[in-house]
Amino acid sequence: MLLTASSFFSKFAKKKVTPFCYMNTRKLSRKISIIFLLAIQVIFLFAIFREHLQSWWSVISILVICPLILVAYLRGQLHHHEHQYEHVLVVCWIPIGAVSSFYLNHYLSLGPVISASAVGFTASFLPVFKKSSEYLRQLPAAVYCGAFIGMSSTAVAPNIVFVLTASFFTAILIIVSKSLFSGVGGKLGTLAFAGVVITSFIYYLISAYA
Amino acid sequence: MLNGAILLLVGFFGAMLTFYLNEGLGQGPVRSSAMLSLGVALFFHFFPHITDPYIVKNIPLVFIGSSFIGMVSSRLVSNYWLIGLAGTVFCIIFLNTSRFFTGYGGALGISACISLLAILSIPIVTKKHRLTNGFAILRKMLFKIRRKQ
Repeated sequence: MLLTASSFFSKFAKKKVTPFCYMNTRKLSRKISIIFLLAIQVIFLFAIFREHLQSWWSVISILVICPLILVAYLRGQLHHHEHQYEHVLVVCWIPIGAVSSFYLNHYLSLGPVISASAVGFTASFLPVFKKSSEYLRQLPAAVYCGAFIGMSSTAVAPNIVFVLTASFFTAILIIVSKSLFSGVGGKLGTLAFAGVVITSFIYYLISAYA
Repeated sequence: MLNGAILLLVGFFGAMLTFYLNEGLGQGPVRSSAMLSLGVALFFHFFPHITDPYIVKNIPLVFIGSSFIGMVSSRLVSNYWLIGLAGTVFCIIFLNTSRFFTGYGGALGISACISLLAILSIPIVTKKHRLTNGFAILRKMLFKIRRKQ
């Protein structure tokens, strides 16, 4: 496997690398999005690795998973060749999903799983209203992605403002990553997680320096 | 130990069932994931004393997380065993998840994505001639070094 990885790297090294300043905006946003999502996943795995250093089983599992993810990123057919942006009117539904899921989770105390799945289940029937509409067909995924933000606990997301801010960042990530990870399960959750992490980091900075 | 095994099974079957509903019955990724998770979560919500509290608390979480794996497109993977295996890997990550990210929305999704990416790389790594080609490159490199000496 290591040899395979080394042969990939040598192939990439032989390629002529275009400097960032000469890349067009789409290519740049595509590369930045991929690197950002990889970084988020590595941070998530690193947190597990750091907390379970005493357990050999966990350490070995993570050391096996990391190169496998790298191989999937480098060789898997995960992304469309043509980079496209998601429409703003589609991502407008993320805050709606997030707030409704957050409301069901914390105000009605239904718990994160029931609230997110109820919102997702309801949203999955939106295309039924007009089956020929391409716009309505894209909404369930956006609403379900928002519902994941609403699954956050009150220790992380203390109020609706946090949820709306996280929805904003998730919406930006969804706009730029439409062509990335197409058809990969967990993409929406990863983007929601990234949105929540960015927001809690901003909240941390504000509370530390304001 | 038994609780862990039950959760691993839930992860395995959660991913497989969602994929069956998604691709086999054509219900679409969102509805198949949400419908099954809602059913499981409501069952344990209304019958909380049916079994061990640890199981009651964690089965809905493992199920919804593994159902994200079943949302995968058949273009990427169509083998039910691989999808079930990804669900099991997800469950291992879930059981060892970091306390630092507890309560973050989307943590289950990122765990599902990581486990699915790990499983998607297996056919690439184990592809015929891939390893033999690697050995050939290594042999070539070694001989080059010897010749230089």
